[in-house]
Amino acid sequence: MEVYSGKQQSKMTTEAIVARRYKRWISALIISMIIGGAAIGYRVIEGLSVTNLSSFVPWGAWVALYIFFVGLSAGAFLLSTLIFVFGMEQYEKVGRYALFTALICMVVALTFILLDLGRMDRAFNAMTYWNVLSVLSWEVRFYLIYMVLLSVELWFAMRTDLIRMAKTTGGLKGKLADILRLGSEDLSERSEKKDHRWMKILGMIGIPIAIIGVHGGTGTLFAAVAAQPYWNSPLFPVIFVVSALVSGTALLIAMYAVQRKAANKSVDLQLIKGLTMLMIFFLVIDLGLEFYEFLVAGLSMKPEKIEILSVMFTSSMSWSFWGIQIFLGAVVPIFLVFNRRTRDSVKWLTAASVLVVIGIIGVRFNIVVPTQVVQSMSPLPHAEYAPNWVEWFSALGVVSMGLLLYSIGVKLLPLETTNEEVSSYE
Amino acid sequence: MGKTHDLIIDQSRWNGEEILKSSKYDTALGLNMAEDARKLADGHISEEAFVAKYQESVEKEFQQTLAVQANETDHSGVRWGMVIDLRKCVGCETCTVSCKAENRTPPGVSYNQVFVKEEGTFPNTSRTNIARPCMHCDKPPCASVCPVRATYKADNGIVIQDADRCIGCRYCMVACPYGARTFDFGESYDEMTGYEQVQAPEHGMDRGKREDGKAPVGTVRKCNFCFHRLERGEEPACVETCIGDARYFGDLNDPDSTVSQLAASDRAFRLKESAGTQPRVYYLR
Ligand code: SF4
Ligand code: SF4
Repeated sequence: MEVYSGKQQSKMTTEAIVARRYKRWISALIISMIIGGAAIGYRVIEGLSVTNLSSFVPWGAWVALYIFFVGLSAGAFLLSTLIFVFGMEQYEKVGRYALFTALICMVVALTFILLDLGRMDRAFNAMTYWNVLSVLSWEVRFYLIYMVLLSVELWFAMRTDLIRMAKTTGGLKGKLADILRLGSEDLSERSEKKDHRWMKILGMIGIPIAIIGVHGGTGTLFAAVAAQPYWNSPLFPVIFVVSALVSGTALLIAMYAVQRKAANKSVDLQLIKGLTMLMIFFLVIDLGLEFYEFLVAGLSMKPEKIEILSVMFTSSMSWSFWGIQIFLGAVVPIFLVFNRRTRDSVKWLTAASVLVVIGIIGVRFNIVVPTQVVQSMSPLPHAEYAPNWVEWFSALGVVSMGLLLYSIGVKLLPLETTNEEVSSYE
Repeated sequence: MGKTHDLIIDQSRWNGEEILKSSKYDTALGLNMAEDARKLADGHISEEAFVAKYQESVEKEFQQTLAVQANETDHSGVRWGMVIDLRKCVGCETCTVSCKAENRTPPGVSYNQVFVKEEGTFPNTSRTNIARPCMHCDKPPCASVCPVRATYKADNGIVIQDADRCIGCRYCMVACPYGARTFDFGESYDEMTGYEQVQAPEHGMDRGKREDGKAPVGTVRKCNFCFHRLERGEEPACVETCIGDARYFGDLNDPDSTVSQLAASDRAFRLKESAGTQPRVYYLR
């Protein structure tokens, strides 16, 4: 296995530098959480009137970010099943990170949707009452089942390490491991085999839940709305799932590379290259599906569809489509991954993955907003919407919360897979 | 000037007792009945109690029988519907205004709107006004998407919006093909004195002041066919105030009702029939 070690990796690498980096990172996150928290507090007290949402464009940036994070989660989880269910050991190193990322992304997604509710105090109504016809009603339940499944699978993945940590590591880490091992003691090979069996089973159950339930379901939530001609297409849920795979894979590459670098550890170039190829593969399918979605919509000459497409492609918000979704999110990353000068560089490949993630934010925004700009009663002029500072800063706060939870998790939980373990999955 | 006005006001302030004295009937009875009638109107006492209390004395004093009135507002089996005659509509928005006044909707919330479309070039122009309340669809997409069943179809044909259950997710808003739903962002006409003193008793629910908790702030709002007026035997405010008399309201279940007959005419059509929502609001072209 070829191991990449950065050129500028200094000989003075000490734990101190890494620790200081970590501290700075955490402080930065806490500061942005405070800033975001202020915006969130403002929104909670004053209600949704402080956002740029209106009765004409009732869903905005927070809904876009909610589906973005659900997508990241589903994508990360599906990637983990490549390892735990289909035995693609070459990706093993990111396996637990994938599960943990999937879990945190769901927390972030649900926080966004909570923030978006007009009556946050009634959020629990969504559990108490149930409407079989409402996709959203199903989704709420699928999200919870999915999160439980993720936690259980992650627990099996970490179990033996938790037991070892509880015995050998002191301090908070050891204590936490002791609690989390839930009384499990068995370190035998048989029990480990059992863990892997369980993970395989859970992963197998999880695949349909993630595809049909969680992300296909979120796509159906939109596709089932007959009043929005742009959403109302059976290809829509499929595009949701594929773009979830794109963003999930991209996020994991970025997370893995950045995290290893920050900890002054070696980055496995072969792994990154493999994953970026996978990412580009998903991206190309995604682009193809979208192409047909637009082509068929355009050629069918339905005036409502054409109008929405023209808002997307030519209006003042078209930068989000051409600039973010297409250029930054597809053209540049594809170039970086195939260009001879950049394709062997961890840095460039990481940059490509980050760009893909950003591109998918654009995709989500373009799904949610342009169609609402066109009003359902035709004499009405187009509405306008762009998120305002409250929405941006609240989003910053929520995302920082997710990153903080992730960073703490990485610090305290045995998410890293040591090399010896890698080959033990069958 | 001030004095003249004061005088007029003072003179017009009548004293009930004095007026009743001038009649040949019992003054005390008149005053008591008037007071209890007010209680009855406010719902503090029942009609039965009122009748039981005064039946005897009314019989004696006026030689008339006081009885509990047969309930005229028994609407079981009724399925409400509306017909709007576009040839009569002049696009004045009286319906919009009277709806806002009746339902005391805050800024940005409008249950009724009138869309105006002008086409062609002078002198060959046409103007179409489409007044749009909630269509009270028989297959309402707003109700099928609602995750908590806060909006649902009632037996009387009205699509109900339960402001006490709605979580404000606004899924119904993106799902309504008619843009008939608005979100209550909590704004108020604060430049108006007493703007927060009363709220409309939508669906017969007395919500008191527009205050935290009781107000439907943070939820989605929409037309309810003035259900509180229907219960009193009155037509919806927009129907009653329409200056062109363009709106008709009634029971679409009854084949002899005006609305049924108009809805059956070949001038009748419904908005976006292709959406499959089956609106209960018909238009006459
Ligand atoms: S017009 Fe809109 S709000 Fe009214 S019942 Fe139909 S879908 Fe629902
Ligand atoms: S906003 Fe209220 S009524 Fe509309 S779908 Fe959500 S919970 Fe139901």
